[in-house]
Amino acid sequence: MTEIKKGAGKEITVDEMGLAFAKIMTIFTVIGIVLMVLPAIFYFMGINQYVPLTEAYKYWRQSASDFWLNVTGRQVTGYSWIFDHLDKTDCLSMIGVLVLMITPLLAMLAGAVKAENKTYRTLLLIAAVEFIASILVKSIAAAAGGAKKATKLVKK
Amino acid sequence: MAWWFWPLFLFVFTLLIGIISPVSGVGGGVLFVPLCTVITPFNIDFIRGAGLVMAVTSALSSVPYLIRKGLASLRIFAVIAPVMVITSVVGGWIGLWVTNAYPNGKYVIKVLLGAIILLVFLVMVLSKRVEFPEVREEDRDSLSKKLNIWGEYYEPNIDAIIEYTTKNTPLSIVVFAVIGFVAGMFGLGAGWANVPVLNLMMGVPIKVATATSMLIITANAPAIGIYLTKGAILPLIVVPSILGITIGARIGAKVAEIMKPKFVRWLVLIILLIAGVLNVIKGLQGMHVIPHILPGV
Repeated sequence: MTEIKKGAGKEITVDEMGLAFAKIMTIFTVIGIVLMVLPAIFYFMGINQYVPLTEAYKYWRQSASDFWLNVTGRQVTGYSWIFDHLDKTDCLSMIGVLVLMITPLLAMLAGAVKAENKTYRTLLLIAAVEFIASILVKSIAAAAGGAKKATKLVKK
Repeated sequence: MAWWFWPLFLFVFTLLIGIISPVSGVGGGVLFVPLCTVITPFNIDFIRGAGLVMAVTSALSSVPYLIRKGLASLRIFAVIAPVMVITSVVGGWIGLWVTNAYPNGKYVIKVLLGAIILLVFLVMVLSKRVEFPEVREEDRDSLSKKLNIWGEYYEPNIDAIIEYTTKNTPLSIVVFAVIGFVAGMFGLGAGWANVPVLNLMMGVPIKVATATSMLIITANAPAIGIYLTKGAILPLIVVPSILGITIGARIGAKVAEIMKPKFVRWLVLIILLIAGVLNVIKGLQGMHVIPHILPGV
């Protein structure tokens, strides 16, 4: 029940599950941000760009599909535009975004390991499995949609 | 205008959103996306991509601190997340189908969604004991007791430790399933809905509701894959926004701890009002009922 304890000091109890979750989330958020920002600094300095800043500036008013068509001459579908150009600073910067995307998953797994009872462990593991399924479903659906659009453009 | 102006603008703009975000429990996308479509020259695809990465990152940056302070409840998250993640995936699939089959249907639902948000706004305005809702032992449901859902945090404004638990847990899980479905279907963040359900239905204090809402927002992270695979995330737009939101959210998490619960309540109300009105306007202009006043829709 809700209880307001006056004069009970400032010390509160947080369970191990929560602390492990928070620790992993902190670590991987920092890693993700660093991996995203460091290559981006070189990108902003004009070093080894996949999409030159001047080109991005010229086409950023257009939809994502038109942007890529104008800048690189082809549509983007899937993650290959990142992994095929890891030598380019802007693509390398996207690895940081990928790390941020999976950080909640890693935190859930850490929480599950430290969970004090089976129910919370099971619930966090179910959430983690669904999280992986969600990444796959959403990424595949988007890639399939993009490929369909690209096929239509080629047919035109 | 030189190209560097806009990244610089995004940094300052997102810094301010980052401070508001953990205090209100709203991911930031609800403010960033509509305002950026009006102010900046970027296409809506890139704004939505940046908005999502930003909302998730602001949550990732503030949640660990909020958990350690007892404000964000992992126990509540563990109960809600398995249901919400799956219904958001189902909602996403059905949303794609609806968009293809009934291109104008989304505008009708946007108006309905706006109306629901405004209804929640009214309920919260009229509700009493929102800051510290009373949950008596006899109010607790069997699931809350069985899972031992509880938590505590220090409230500096009244120099007291607030111990809380939940009520209506099974019903709230059903409501969160619906929220996940709607959020997935229309690609929305769900901060606007999480806070009222946690606070009014489950009976957790307003500050715990806003902090736990930030924790729930982290479950939206898989949607980043959609924007990455479409090439809708550009470092030029995302990096300054992330830097701004990260620094802002860390300041915001500390501000959330000392902020007066009454102020948090009014901040949530203002954001609900903005979100509700924007959704109604977007829907009505999409249906050509009113002139096109909001760009990017």
